[in-house]
Amino acid sequence: MGKPKAKVDRQKCLACCGCISVCPQNAITWIGYKAQVDPEKCISCAICIRTCPVGAISGEAL
Amino acid sequence: MKMKYDVVIVGSGPAGSTTARFAAENGAKVLVIERRAEVGVPVLCGEGISRKIDDWKMLEGKRWIAGKMDGARIFSPDKTCVTLSADQAGNETGYVVYRDIFDQELARLAIKAGAEYMMNTKAIGLIKDGDKIKGVKAKHFDEELDIECSIVVAADGVDSKVAQWAGLDTRLDPKDLESCCQYTLVNVEVKDAYCEFYLGKEIAPGGYVWVFPKSKGVANVGIGILASLSESGMAKNLLDRFIENDPRLAKGKSIRFLAGAVPVSNPAKETVDDNLILIGDAARHVDPITGGGLTHCLEGGKIAGETIAKAVKSKNFSKEFLSEYETRWKEAFGQKIKRNYLVKELMLDMDDKTFNKLAHALESVKFDEISTHGLVKEVAKHLPISTKLNALIKHRKEIREIKKK
Repeated sequence: MGKPKAKVDRQKCLACCGCISVCPQNAITWIGYKAQVDPEKCISCAICIRTCPVGAISGEAL
Repeated sequence: MKMKYDVVIVGSGPAGSTTARFAAENGAKVLVIERRAEVGVPVLCGEGISRKIDDWKMLEGKRWIAGKMDGARIFSPDKTCVTLSADQAGNETGYVVYRDIFDQELARLAIKAGAEYMMNTKAIGLIKDGDKIKGVKAKHFDEELDIECSIVVAADGVDSKVAQWAGLDTRLDPKDLESCCQYTLVNVEVKDAYCEFYLGKEIAPGGYVWVFPKSKGVANVGIGILASLSESGMAKNLLDRFIENDPRLAKGKSIRFLAGAVPVSNPAKETVDDNLILIGDAARHVDPITGGGLTHCLEGGKIAGETIAKAVKSKNFSKEFLSEYETRWKEAFGQKIKRNYLVKELMLDMDDKTFNKLAHALESVKFDEISTHGLVKEVAKHLPISTKLNALIKHRKEIREIKKK
């Protein structure tokens, strides 16, 4: 099992785009006005998790 | 479907609409595309703006004004209050606006000048011939559009896709991004027309809490914290705690909750390229101390629009020709952003004790200039020598660079 990858809770995401702006891998994009992480690109740095103002992103073990 | 314009502006925020207006007014054929269904909605903003905009006479009427402010109060961590009041300086400090109406008014003026708008139209890529930008690929509901143009304007915000497609690096260091959220509360007891700012590491690390009165019993109460100092969900948690502990706000009920991300970096290194211009948040035209960007959108948008119209007339869309925009925004507010970025860095090194000391020293000061510049000048006078020295050593190069200009 690899390191946990970031995962967005679509119910909680308010589409502020903070995570998208700070992701060093450009791994987060908009899908239907919500942020979505590409697990292939995610390097588990957790910057997006810490940035999210409403706690909508968490680490998910794959 | 194929379409052809001189310029396609991606994003109908204040920067996009102002650019559209001044480009169209000066003869360019302009299209603004907006992915959302309504200009200005959802509102993603604290909604405060300096009264400087009055001097520019860019807006008509007063419908967009929620309240005229009499001043501002800044609270240090120990709640010492520094007041900047309008009567001291003999002028007003600013407005709290309805951003949806504000944006729609700017769009109306652009349309009046001849610009076209397409809502529900999402940019999905650039049309390129090799490296050369030839237009925008977009999707209007289910219909794919190829919109040819000579200039593409990236007015698509902090996470600008257009800039990314053009090959620019749009990523921000977490220390250069404020993670924000805000309630619009009704039934609050905010009595007078003062914008309030609350500082402190316990209150809002690397940022502040704001209370902006909007109309009777209504206020925007928001928080910005630096992403590098944030933890998951911290902005909302700290804001909720602040509201609970303020008896004026605790009984308030939320009619709007929003989250946002504000760049507090230096301006983008490159805001023009062949056939491309960046404006607004996409260009990082935000004051790194206050997080305010509206005035820059209007000022920068006008410059961008005028430059675009000139380019259309001379049929020259090269980076070199468009660099007039860059030169002019740097003169207008670029130096200010650079200087305030240094001040932001300096403030990050200061602890709560220093903030309190400063507030005590400034408590009774009569400010003769109500602006961040006026405040920074006064703060500079009262900073402890050690802090000034640290700043000088740490930022020697940048300070020299700014002084040279």
